[in-house]
Formats: sequence, C-alpha cells, structure tokens
Amino acid sequence: MRRYILGVESTAHTFSVSVMSSDGNILSNTKSVYMPPEGSGIHPFEASQSHLAAAPKVVADALANSRVPMSELCAVAYAMGPGLGPCLRVGAVVARTIASSLEVPLVPVNHAVGHIELGCLLTGSKDPVVLLVSGGHTMILAYSAKRWRVLGESLDLTLGQLLDQFGRHHGLASPCGGAIEEAAAASSNYLRLPYSVKGNDVSFSGLLTTSKLLLDGGRSFSDVSYSIQETAFAMVAEVTERALAFTGKKEVMIVGGVAANRRLSGMLSNMVERHSAVVTMTPLEYSGDCGAQIAWTGWLAHTCGVQIPVPESKVLQSWRLDRVDIPWRN
Amino acid sequence: MSTYPGVTEHSEGRLLYRGAEADVVLGDWQGLEAVFKIRRPLTYRLQVLDEAIRRQRTVHEAEMIHLAKKAGVASPFLYNVDIQSSTLVMQFVRGVRVKDLVASLSDNQLDGAFFEFGQDVARLHRFGIMHGDLTTANVVKNDTRLVFIDFGLSIRTTRLEDHAVDLRLIKETLVGAHPDISAKALDALNRGYASVVGPARSLAVLKQLQNIERRGRYARVT
Repeated sequence: MRRYILGVESTAHTFSVSVMSSDGNILSNTKSVYMPPEGSGIHPFEASQSHLAAAPKVVADALANSRVPMSELCAVAYAMGPGLGPCLRVGAVVARTIASSLEVPLVPVNHAVGHIELGCLLTGSKDPVVLLVSGGHTMILAYSAKRWRVLGESLDLTLGQLLDQFGRHHGLASPCGGAIEEAAAASSNYLRLPYSVKGNDVSFSGLLTTSKLLLDGGRSFSDVSYSIQETAFAMVAEVTERALAFTGKKEVMIVGGVAANRRLSGMLSNMVERHSAVVTMTPLEYSGDCGAQIAWTGWLAHTCGVQIPVPESKVLQSWRLDRVDIPWRN
Repeated sequence: MSTYPGVTEHSEGRLLYRGAEADVVLGDWQGLEAVFKIRRPLTYRLQVLDEAIRRQRTVHEAEMIHLAKKAGVASPFLYNVDIQSSTLVMQFVRGVRVKDLVASLSDNQLDGAFFEFGQDVARLHRFGIMHGDLTTANVVKNDTRLVFIDFGLSIRTTRLEDHAVDLRLIKETLVGAHPDISAKALDALNRGYASVVGPARSLAVLKQLQNIERRGRYARVT
C-alpha cells in the first residue's frame, strides 16, 4: 500500500511544501521564494515574514496538487536546520501544527542530508562522491559507517556566498549565480586570481577580496565574473577529483543550488573522464531548496522510526551534516 | 632548460596510481627502477591557469622533497625534474600506504605507527615545512619507517595557522575515511607531535586547529 508524507522546507529564501509517496513519487512541490531588494542578501526577518504570508497558500496548493487527502498523511517532516533562525521557525510552526492536528509523527530532517538523499532518489546514484554546492554548503562527501562523511570542504565562504557577495558588490540581489554565469559567458579574458587549495579543502576569501578589488579598479564585471568562475570552479573540481581518486568511487553527484551552473558541471564532467567515472545531477527543478528534499528524507527517517515529540521540536541554526546519523543506509 | 632526453619514453611504463593531479608511473630511469610523477594537463582548467599551477607545483615539490630530508623526514630520492612535461622522476618507495595498512594493525601497532606519523609531521613543522597534503594515502610504511611521498602542496612556513591546517587535514581524513580508528590514531599522533615540538607548541597548534574548525560552516565545536 502506498503511504504519504508531507515535507516542509524553510531554511533560507525558499518556503516549499511537498507531498511524496512511499515509493518515491513527488506528487506536489509548491514554493514561494523571498526576493531581496537589489544589492542585498537575505534579511532573515524579512524572509521569515514573506514565508509566513505565503505559507497557507503553499501548503494548500501542495495538498490540492497531490490529490492526497490530509487524513492519509502518515507523517510530517520539517527542516530542523541548518539555516536562518527566523525562517526555520516558520517551517517548524507549520509542520508542528499539521502533525499535531492529524496526530501523526513529526520527523526532523537535516536540510543538507535532504539535498543528498533526494539527489540519490532522482539520479539513481548508489554510492557517489557527493559535491554539495549551495549558499549554505560547499562540501565533498561520501557515505561510510552510518554517516555522510566530509572528505573536503570550504574553510571559509561557500561557493554560493562567494558568487552572491561578489554579485552584491556589483549591485545585484542574491542569488547572483545566474547573472554571473551569463556575464562570464561574454568574456574570455582571464585575470589571475588567488587559487587556494589546501589539501582536500578550498578557501575563497582571498579570491573574493581580489575580485572585488579588480571590479573597483575598473575591470569589467564580465571579465571578473569569467575569472572568478574559472578559478573557483577549478579549485572545486580539483578537490572533488582528489576525493574521487582517494575513494576510488565511480560516480560524482552534484547537488545544491550552484549545481545549476553549466560551467561547473561541464568542468566536473571533463574531470571524471580521467577516472572512468560519471557525473549525475539532480534535475534543475529539484537541485535548489525544495520541499521534496525534506519529504523524501523524512520518509526514509520515518521508516527507521526517527521522530521528535512536538514540545522538543526546536530548530538548529548550526547543524553540521556529518553529525547526523543515517540509519536507513547500510 | 632541464629537459633530459628520454623522460617521455621511459614514462610509458606501468601506471601505478592515477591521482587527482598526476599519474604515477613505474618505469626505468638510466637503469634504475623509478617512479615518474607526471602532472598531465587538466583540460577542465583554463590552459593558462593549468600550466602555471603544474609548473609551480612540480618545481616546488622537488625543492620540498629535498628539504624534508634536511628536516629528518624520509622522502624519495629525486632523480630528475622535467619542467617541460611537469614530471618528477624519483625513487620507487617499496611499502604499504598507511591508508591500506590501518585495517590490519593491532592496537599497539596502530599507536606506534601514528605516534611516528606525529613525530615526522612535527619534524617538518619544526623545520618550517607545511606538508599541505597529509592524507593517509601520501605516507608509505616500508620495512623500517614512514616515508612521505607527496609534497606537491607543501610550502615553507612557520605560521601556527599553516601547521594547524596540516593537522586538520589528517583529522579530516581519519574521521572521514577511517572513522573506526580515528580517535585512537589521533591520540597517538598528537602525543608523537608533542614529543618533538614540546607540549606548549603542540597545545597552541591544537588550539588553532579548533579555531579553524569554528570558522567552518555550521560548526559548533564543543
């Protein structure tokens, strides 16, 4: 018999709700995305107000589109963290309310694990090296002994932050990745930028500072965008290649919002050839933040009895994904 | 120009290992069994960037392999540096990578191996060398001691931060790739490290390591 779960995502700019079935079908995935004013990033309180206003309709649409009666939901999952406190609390309130009124279990989900598990479902990846690139994360991971283990990560900024902070310096509003990719495509003039690989890890802070200085010094946005992409993505490809060589695995799965960048996925596709490996990617619709990542991971956790009593269902702004037990994998 | 004839022909030997940035090939160098570490062009990188990185790392690695010996740490003998093809020709170190060794070690042997690992890292640091790539794949145990085989990311530095980054990478590798033995191995490593640089410096480096971890995203170091 098919069973159903509802998942609520609200860690940052996206408030999204999804209804999924136990066999892995996404029956609905509705969302509302907070847009900051130009030149700004996400204001956590403003974003939470936007989520609050959008929540009733997003939930109602998710239920209506799925054609699943509320009474058939057997659990409600929510993103407990990591993310922006005010935003997380909106999702938690919505999820608690639905779970309490239906008297079904409430399942806490780590947002980053959500990206990975939904990626595995949609790409069919079995045992990948995962490249998680978003505004919140830049990590290279592989599964072993009940945890997703970090094999490399950024020591400071994430790739999403690098692109957003550079874009905002130019007056754009977050997220800036799309505009930077477009500007970069118009240039082939490489300006030398700091290339900072430290073992398995990368550092982007010097790259950001130098890029801002070049822009202030009169270099075109297009040239600097091109150079920042070429440098930062090559660093990420190098440390991903290191993890691939070290583990001997044959799949690289890219997940997270920055996975949408074609230059990045192009570099990785090129890189894996030397190792006779393949790259898989979550379809664009689901590579960024979405309710389905919470619903599906919530379902996996639910099958292992993971749940949290409503009075204890807090949110965790800082919650590293390598601290999360993964009971559903062998 | 340091190009010797024959580097390219002899490097067509048996591929031992395909690393992230280099192919490691077993071949023959003037009658000696030798390893050719060839940094082949990586076409995903922009050519100008790729060439600069390969040249810089090849030359630098040669210097560092030499310096490590001065610091009292075993490294391969270097036979030749070919900048044109960014290739290092060096001694083939017989032994087992620590990565492949850990599973078969008794508690005592594990403690001994990682104590020695810590001592050697400390010797490098005391001499002003940051290895830059301290994973368990880059250290080989031969009959008598540990041999450090990859200095491609090494730099000369005495900064606390850099030395802490070195130890952080060992920790990341142990926790990430060898979770079952990581606690014991790290304990032995830290004792070995402290036995060379002294408790004060060792504590300072470990404290800096915590600071680095705190800078990481979503890190709550307790």
